[in-house]
Amino acid sequence: MNDYAWLVRREFWENRAIWIVPIAIGVALTLAALFGNVQIPALSAPDSRALSGVVLFGFGVTFFVVMNIYATWYLLDCLYADRKDRSVLFWKSLPISDTATVLAKLFTGLIAIPLVYFIAADIATLLMAFIVSVRAHSALGGSLWQPDLWLQLQVLWLYLIVTTAIWYLPFAGYLMVMSAWARRAVTLWSIVPPLAAYLLERWFFGTHWVGTVLQERAFGYLPHALRDNYHGTWVTTVVGDDTITTPASIWRMLDPLGFFTSPATWVGVGVGIAFIIAAIQLRLRRTEV
Amino acid sequence: MPPLIEAHDLSKNYGKHVALDHVNFAVETGRIVGLIGPNGAGKTTALRAILGLTPYEGRLRVLDREPFGERAALMRDASFIADVAVLPAWLRVDQAIDFVAGIHPRFRRDRAHALLSKTQITGKRRMRELSKGMKTQVHLALTMAIDAKLLVLDEPTLGLDILARRSFFDALVNDYMDETRTILITTHQVEEVENLLTDVIFIDRGRIVLDCSLEDIATRYAAVAVADDKVAAARAERPFFERRTLGKTVLYFERSDVQQLANLGELLTPSVSDLFVAKLSGGAA
Repeated sequence: MNDYAWLVRREFWENRAIWIVPIAIGVALTLAALFGNVQIPALSAPDSRALSGVVLFGFGVTFFVVMNIYATWYLLDCLYADRKDRSVLFWKSLPISDTATVLAKLFTGLIAIPLVYFIAADIATLLMAFIVSVRAHSALGGSLWQPDLWLQLQVLWLYLIVTTAIWYLPFAGYLMVMSAWARRAVTLWSIVPPLAAYLLERWFFGTHWVGTVLQERAFGYLPHALRDNYHGTWVTTVVGDDTITTPASIWRMLDPLGFFTSPATWVGVGVGIAFIIAAIQLRLRRTEV
Repeated sequence: MPPLIEAHDLSKNYGKHVALDHVNFAVETGRIVGLIGPNGAGKTTALRAILGLTPYEGRLRVLDREPFGERAALMRDASFIADVAVLPAWLRVDQAIDFVAGIHPRFRRDRAHALLSKTQITGKRRMRELSKGMKTQVHLALTMAIDAKLLVLDEPTLGLDILARRSFFDALVNDYMDETRTILITTHQVEEVENLLTDVIFIDRGRIVLDCSLEDIATRYAAVAVADDKVAAARAERPFFERRTLGKTVLYFERSDVQQLANLGELLTPSVSDLFVAKLSGGAA
């Protein structure tokens, strides 16, 4: 376990963007809250609660989107970078197995990086909510600070981190295979196999199986992890000319039982494990770019 | 006690190219062995196999382990410097020390600090800010602070200037080597290492052409410098190589009875570089 802690720490040393980018977003949000033009109309208590939820959620989404782009890039780069600068020969001169190296990088990409963004998003949204509440206290009555909403967001974040890590394991494993295999232009190479499979299938069989599978994996996360029949629990708030629609409760959106009992989840885990084993085998054998 | 490294029928092909062709050799504890050959001879392939970096055919035992399958365990007792330039640019000196100290059970932090305190290098420097010679000093300090039984060096001084080369080998011999350790070193520059080796293995086109301790060179090999009138007589003794120098012909023999040769001219003990040239210049004269 100690080795894994060092390996993950090593990833943070190498990829300083892991913490610099979320801090930069957080600073930008805090500055916007401090000096931005805050105009919040007087709202009734339930309406300001909804607005607060939207603001908290909106900033969470900003962090979440940037995090996913960065984590994808990280997984694609992590095994390639060591080969490109030949430092793989230094890391391999130490008593660390290639399995441990690959698993530590996978953990960094799927769990550690999202956790850093989660913490940064928390600190930034708390600061922002506090500052905006103080600046707009007359209009808002301090109601941007909603403890139960905030708590719900915490649970949502952790739920998203765990379930996306599991659902997108095959994508992560695939990216690592490409990272361990490609001799140059990793990003380009990572697109070639699925595109080729898709086109060849279309030309020779006229079917769309590959495309459908990829599409279901890419976009199937939301219907699998979150409840799809939450129509009844939407709340509409009117703020000036805008109408905001928010779920009454985030709790009710989560569907862990459905997610963990879905065959699609576990088929994905199986495929993901196969890719990770392949990435380890490539890491064992390939030291040059 | 079995040899530290033992290779039987060791082979490695890259497609049709044969990098190692059924090679046999052994390395005993306490030796400094030079694996010497021209570029592309198979030196690096042999090292990669010994270090568990590549799969191979045949039997290979290093510190009583199968290197490819047990690299991580092997690296607790063996260490290597592959090339001076492999420390990553983003790594800070203190991070390198912390990391190796964190994961290597045989790393002695105080020793690494002592070695680095002799240099101008401070802990907050990143590798990208250091010269090649300084990076070598960092890598050597990290490696020498590991209490390893086997140290493998692959062209360790490539790209270094003469001062950095000299201090590299001085540190190796004076501060590191003792009777419990074994060093295996590859190079294509024989002159640079011949004074510190105890054994040499010459490798050419994937085959071993000479495997000998330095003490044995004098008894196994002889050279004689003869005047022109005795060249024909000397050739009759079947030298494996000859060259012209300063108006004489030097002929090289693989034999121990040198009395006959002494009658032909001036007897010489061939140096490692002489033997290297003789053995790799394309066969017998």
